[in-house]
This record gives sequence, structure tokens and C-alpha cells, in this order.
Amino acid sequence: MNRVRLKVNGQEHEIEVESCTLLVHAIREDVGLTGTHVGCLTGDCGACTVLVDGASVKSCSVFAVSADGAEITTIEGLAGDEGLHPVQQAFWDEFAFQCGYCLPGMLLTTCELLDRDQDPDDAAIDQAINGNLCRCTGYASIRSAVRRAATRMAAGDPDALPESQRSESPSAEPPPSA
Amino acid sequence: MTAVTSADVVVTGPAIGSSARKEGGDTLLTGRGRFVDDYTLPGMRYAAVVRSEVPHARILRVDVREAEQSPGVALVLTGESAAAHAGPIPHFIDPAARGGRYTDVRCLAVGKVVYAGQPVAAVVADTRRQAEAAAELVRVEYEPLPHVLDGDDALAADAPLLYEEWPDNVVLHNHYGTGDVDAALESADLVISDTIRIARSTTAPIEPRGYLASWDRLDETLTVYGSLQNPHQLRWMVANSLGLDETAIHVITARVGGSFGLKMQGHPEETLVCLLSKLTGAPVKWIEDRREAFMAGAREQVHRFTVGAMRDGRIVGIRDQIVANTGAVSAQAGWAMPNMSATTLASGYTVPNVQAELHVVVTNKPPLNAARGFGKDSAHFVMERVVDLVARGLGLDPAEVRRTNFIPAGQFPYRTATGLNIDSGDFPGLLDKALAALDYDALRKRQADLRTEGRHLGVGLAFELTPESADGPGSFVSGFDVTTVRMTMTGKVTVYTGVTTPGGGNDTGIAQIVSDELGVPMSWITVVQGDTERCPGGFGNFSGRGMVTGGGSAALAARDVRAKIATVGARMLAVPVDEVEVAHGYVRAVGDGRTVPIPEVAAAVVTRAFAIANEVEPVLEATRAYKPGNIDHVPDERGRIQPYPTYSSCLHAAVVEVDAETGQTKLLDFVMVHDCGTIINPALVEGQAYGAIVMGIGAGLTERLVHDAQGRLASDRFKSYLLPRAGDLPTIRLEHQVTPSPFTMYGNKGAGEAGVGGAQAAVANAIEDALAPFGVTVREVPLPPPAVLALIDEARTK
Ligand code: FES
Ligand code: FES
Repeated sequence: MNRVRLKVNGQEHEIEVESCTLLVHAIREDVGLTGTHVGCLTGDCGACTVLVDGASVKSCSVFAVSADGAEITTIEGLAGDEGLHPVQQAFWDEFAFQCGYCLPGMLLTTCELLDRDQDPDDAAIDQAINGNLCRCTGYASIRSAVRRAATRMAAGDPDALPESQRSESPSAEPPPSA
Repeated sequence: MTAVTSADVVVTGPAIGSSARKEGGDTLLTGRGRFVDDYTLPGMRYAAVVRSEVPHARILRVDVREAEQSPGVALVLTGESAAAHAGPIPHFIDPAARGGRYTDVRCLAVGKVVYAGQPVAAVVADTRRQAEAAAELVRVEYEPLPHVLDGDDALAADAPLLYEEWPDNVVLHNHYGTGDVDAALESADLVISDTIRIARSTTAPIEPRGYLASWDRLDETLTVYGSLQNPHQLRWMVANSLGLDETAIHVITARVGGSFGLKMQGHPEETLVCLLSKLTGAPVKWIEDRREAFMAGAREQVHRFTVGAMRDGRIVGIRDQIVANTGAVSAQAGWAMPNMSATTLASGYTVPNVQAELHVVVTNKPPLNAARGFGKDSAHFVMERVVDLVARGLGLDPAEVRRTNFIPAGQFPYRTATGLNIDSGDFPGLLDKALAALDYDALRKRQADLRTEGRHLGVGLAFELTPESADGPGSFVSGFDVTTVRMTMTGKVTVYTGVTTPGGGNDTGIAQIVSDELGVPMSWITVVQGDTERCPGGFGNFSGRGMVTGGGSAALAARDVRAKIATVGARMLAVPVDEVEVAHGYVRAVGDGRTVPIPEVAAAVVTRAFAIANEVEPVLEATRAYKPGNIDHVPDERGRIQPYPTYSSCLHAAVVEVDAETGQTKLLDFVMVHDCGTIINPALVEGQAYGAIVMGIGAGLTERLVHDAQGRLASDRFKSYLLPRAGDLPTIRLEHQVTPSPFTMYGNKGAGEAGVGGAQAAVANAIEDALAPFGVTVREVPLPPPAVLALIDEARTK
């Protein structure tokens, strides 16, 4: 067993995992956040995407031990006290999901994209989400949602900044210890 | 006594017809949606399934000793021991009830296996990894039997028999249609015979299947959580095979991460997981892995057809011999899909003489499972290929040949040669809109110009008729459903319905209907689905039935509750009941505009039952069933029945460019004009349509399940089974046409299935059109680059 420290959505966790435990299983089963999904475990569907130190990573394709000390953002870490993250809002407004199983990957991939490119063109959007499968939407509404999120965030909506650019992320507050 | 006010009531428009935002969207967006793998119970253990590695064999011995010694293992179950505790799984649609052949399907194989991948044993252990590790240690000794993987081969007189109690490998053999095809072909100016093959593809929702069963030893009750489409049917099936009382079983549908037919009930693991929990006395979870999910086939057919047409493009007769390879028999409904392929033939065209002969054959491949399209998709592929071949043979424009043959808009209801009674539609209208959206004439000109440069642009059209909301007597395919609407004394409304959602959003649509019918805002309404203890008995989701049957029954129940609110509200306003309106949370006197809030009326019904609510039965709750019209199981003079109330329709147009050097197809444009009658929520309908179109594009271009010579799945991951990705697709354009159905509550027809068959056909037709200079004929799908190059080679060597 290995002791691994992860900062997940701003909260410190220390967990015991086997060397072969995948990060996705550590997040779902040891940290207990089930918003990150498993669709294939072969790195092809993207449902398990999380941000590791700001970069989108398919958490089924890395071992938990290799993420020791990392800062991780999961789908649960996007919304703040004031409500949904603008990317989440845009996905809702554009009907960019049906069953929602692909959402963790789609949302976090979009956050990462908009973090480095505030005005992505269609090719950039396609390139970003090409690693994420969605079987329900046919992707049209997802592209629209990414565009809408970019527009809203560019329009200077103060809440509409990607989490990494917000001065203080409310979800980063550690909860009172039990 | 009450706060009767004439304060401004905030009036919004009707909910029906609006793109109300998805119910519970925030739950999913914040990662709080509970899918089956997100449930954990105290003491929960995990199951892994040991599967056959051979396609056809007798099981000589199953050695579980090593597995039993493996760390964490609580139980290793073999087929023999399972059979001592569990009977056969009842069929969702029993082939025998359709004139076909029955065979026992069990949760674990007994005596012999009939496909590679069939469950032969199961392991329960403390962790998922322990269960999987122990499953590797189960040794199964087989005596191999000859096997057959191809449908035609399975029909041969000397083919190996899968089920020894059957005389051959045919589950169902049937004839469809009417008219004199021979005479029609005799009279035709053009007769074409050819063969079309539709390869095996699959539904592949991103969430695989999964079940969590928990047996309570003290109460002797079973609770089952699952990623399901038909919870009430699962309860009955498990009760039957495990010999339990139905009332001892509680089925709870988790959020479903896409389904598309795959998660209809009848899978062996359903009964298996329940049995494992009962035997171990612990909650047991099993989550399918992606390899396992790829075993489920969605379609696999061969059509040998002859069509006759007159010089003006009129199709006068079609004969079609269909061989559908259903794989091994499952208790799921997949085997029945080809029946709809035959029944849907001739589609929306006035072909007077149609004869189809169908053999649904078993082979040593994994079973077909129900899939979006339910066989209708294959009929569209064949029919739309046929129309294009006729156009080509006669030198006519394919758009015009469609127009010539369409059932005219004024001729509904229209009985087709196979017996379908199409309720309504305007097929030429769909075509006009699609051609306008394409700027068809300009596109043809551009195609001609590009050809002079050696570039291959192709335009493919495809019409699709989608019979929806099916009813099959004596099966779990039912044309009605049931909904309870309950209002609390604070005016909040909970809707408990028998229809379930695979994630598409019919809960939102049902809330919209209840909002309008009951006169309360959407925000007061909660929709509960998929729970056998809370929801009235119903049938779940399939066949585009959610809004037809769930919406219809919710409307009836809401009207009953509204009537009481109106009665008591009118008394509170001291006006006759026919002088009030109930809307947007208020009862309003039409004459002077005074209002009383519905929560006050609801409270009065309960707390003043012997005063103002006297003579009103003080229950703000109603349970109603809705049966749409047009379903008719009495055979007509030609033996035809009519199992569908309503028929959606659409017209697809695909524009592709094919690279003749690489065989690569680039999809440049895609238009679908869709008619599902009255639209309850346009955004939800469009979302479903986009998803179905892309699934059809995948089946047309890249998606193919491949088995090796030993029947083992070779395409077992998303790297070898290629779903369309965002970068593969142009912006799909969708337009609506609305011809309401006369046979459903709101004139709505069902959405969600339409798209697969038409899109598949449209891209295939477009590729043939693009490669017309080579003279290729498309005879199969999918058409990945090697298949396209083979088409060109074949045409060149002719
Ligand atoms: S589960 Fe990680 S990519 Fe599919
Ligand atoms: S919404 Fe279902 S997979 Fe994307």
C-alpha cells in the first residue's frame, strides 16, 4: 500500500492505494467523488477527465501514486457558492448534454481550452473535445456551449472566469473539520 | 377566510412547445447525478463474470477450486449450481408468441456454450480487482463443437445446430406484404436484383450496463439498483427466474448514462447479480466493462432484393429475401428487430406489391440486443438504396424518384402493403425543405464543376419513416403507460410515471405537460421515474413512447387533479366553476380577474374537507393510463396487423467528398428535416435527433463489430470500434415540419429513434453518388476507407 496526498478541489486528502490503483478509482472510491466517470478504462472516451495541476488528464490512464502531491480539479470543483461555473451554465443553456455521462470530460476539457485560448475557433474546439466521446448529443450543442462560454467569459462577466483565473475560488475553502 | 387577491399574476406562456431547460441539469453539471456505479451499500461485494472463450462447445468441467482460494472470494458460482437456484429468464418478447421458437436462456450456461463471451461462471469477492483476479482462475474444460458465425451458413442443411431441440437454426421465419410481385416485375420497364449487407454495429452508450442487488435475509426482500430501461419488467423477470414474489422485489433505476435499447431488460447478468446477492447475503455490484459492452450487436442483415419500376420512376414491386443474423438467443428483445425491418419495407412509398421473406437465424455470435431503430433502420437502408438504384437505372434524379413514389400528403391514414397504417405526414414537404436547405440545383452544378477537376463530391438523400410507440400483444412491448400526479397541500406536485428516461429528457417534457394541464409553474413539479415502489406499473422507455404514453397519461392525471382545484378554487372565489381558469399557480375568476393561489386551494381541499371542499373527494391525486389510437391487432382480410399508433418521418441529405486515392470520406454537410408531429420541447427533440443522426453516420462510415474465426470479438475497444468524434462531423442542420398525429394526445409522434436508418442510408448514397464517374455500386455498410477503395477497384475491373 502507498500513501498518496492529493489536493482535490482545494481540499487535502491522504489516501492509501495499491501501486496499480488508477487515479480514476482513487478519486471515485477513496476520495469519494463519483462525478468523474468510467467509460472505457482504455483512455479513449474521456469520461474520466480531471485537471491535474491545471492540465486535462484522463484519470484512467495514470496511476494514483503518480499524482502524489498534485492539485486536482474534478467536475464537483467547478461550481462555487455563487452558482454554476460559466462553462456549466453554457452547457445547460445550450442543451449540451443529455445523459450527462460524458460531462466531466466535456466540462473540464472546455475549462482547460478556455484557460489557454479565450477565443477558440471551431477547429480549436473540435481539437480540444476530439478526445471525448459523447453518444447522445452528436456534439453540435457541445460546440455551441463552448462558444457561448467563451463569449460570456470574454464579455467580462466577473463570474465567468475559469476557476484558475478567479482570485479566490470559493470551493477552495477547506470545510470545517468534522 | 382566504387571501383572494387580484394582484398581478406573473403569466408566462405555455410550457408545451417551449425549449424548457433540462430538469435536474444542475445535478448532472455538478457531478451529483447518481449512476449505478455511484451507489455503494454497507458490506457491498463485487462480481466478475467468467465468459466462454470458445464459440460452441460442451462444458465438460468447471474447476473453481483455485478461484475459491483466491483472496477476498466469497463465492464462485457455476452454471450447474446457478440452475439449482434460478430458472430460465423470461423473454422480453417470447419468440414462440410470435410464431417462432423458444429456448431456455439462463444466467449462466448449463451443459454447453453457444457463443464466445457467454457467462459460464461468476465470482463474488470483496473488491472488484479480487473478483476479476479470481475469475481468471476459474478453469473451464470444453469439448469443442463445430460453430457457425454467418447467417447464410447457419441456414445450410449441414450447419451445426445451436439448439439441439430445434430442427434448424431459425428463430423466426415469416412472410410479409401483399400484392402480385411477379406480375408487377413482369410489367416493369426496369428490373434490378442485388444484394445488400448491413454489418454488425452496436449502440455503445458511454456508460456501460451495471446492476447492484441487495438481498435482505431477515425481510427476505431484494432491492435492485440498475442502469435500466424497464424496471417493472425486470422485477417480473427476476421474480420469475428466482421464484420470488414480485412484491418482495424493489427495483430502483439509477441515472442512466445513455442506453439506446441496450439497457432494455433480459440480460443474463440481471438475474445473475440478484442470485449472487441472495446466495452470499451481501449486496453485490457488477459493472460491465467496455469489452463486455461491445459484445452487444445492434443489427446484422443480408437483403437479396428484386425491384421493378416503370420508366417514369414509379416503383411497382419489390421482393426481398432477408437473412438476419441474431447471434445466440437472449431473453432481451434484440432477436425481434428484423421483424420490423420486413414490416417497414417500402417505407413511405406507395409500392403496391411487396413481398418480404424473413429468416431470423441464430449463430455462434453474441446476441443482438435491442438498438435505437429497432430494425426499421435496416429497412430504410435497403429502401433508400433501392430508390437510388432505380433512379440511376432510369437516368432520373433521385430526388424526383422519391417524390414520384411518396405517399401523397392528402392520403393519410395510409395502409402500406405490409399493413402499417401510417397516421399522417407530408413526405414531399420534407423533400422540398431539404432540397431548399441544400440549394440542390446549385449543389449539383458544383458537383459537375468539381468533377471536371477530378474531385468527387456526392449528394445522398434518404427518407425515413419511424413507426413509434409500439404495442405487442402478450409481450412487454406495450402501447400504453401509466402516470400518477400528486399535489401536496402546499401545491407542490410530484409526477410518478411508468416511463423512464435513458437520459434524453422525457422527464422535462412530462413536467411541461403537467405544468400546462394542471396550471402550476414548472418549478413546482418533480418527476419520479424508474422506481417500482413509487411509480405505478409501466413499461419504461423504448420505441419513442415516452412522450406519447407518459405524456398522455400525465395529462389525463393532471386534468383530474386540476378539476378538483378548479371546483374548490371557484367556491373560494364565489363564482361558478366554469368561470375560472387554472394557470401559472393561481385559480382566477375570468370575470373580474380575482385570484386565489393554488397552494391555498390545495390546503383548503385537505383542511376544509367538510366545509368549502364539501362533496369533493379530498385526494389531490390521480392515476391514469393513456392508450393512443390507431393500434389494431385484429388481422385485416390480408392478415395484416397494425401495432403502432403513430409514425414520425424525416428526410436526410448528406454531402460528402470522397478521396479516390485514400478512400477517405469527408462529410461536408448534413441536413435533416424532421416531422415528429407536435413538438413538446424543440431543444430536446433536436438533441435526440442529432444523437441519432450521428449514430447513423457512424454505422454508415466506420462502426463495425469484428469477430475472428473463433467468434471472439476483435473490435473490443474504442480504438478498434470507431464512434464518430466531434472533428469528424460538420454542423448538422435540422429543420422541422409539423403534421400532428390524429391518434395521440397532443398530436406528438415520438422522437429519439428517427435518424439512425436515414443517416446511414444518406451517407452511403452520397458515397455512391460521389463515385458515380467510376460506376461503383454500394452494397454494404459501413464504408470505411478500405471498403471505399475496394468499391473503386471492383468497378474498375468490371
Ligand atoms: S474511462 Fe478514461 S478515457 Fe474512458
Ligand atoms: S450526454 Fe450522454 S454521453 Fe454525452
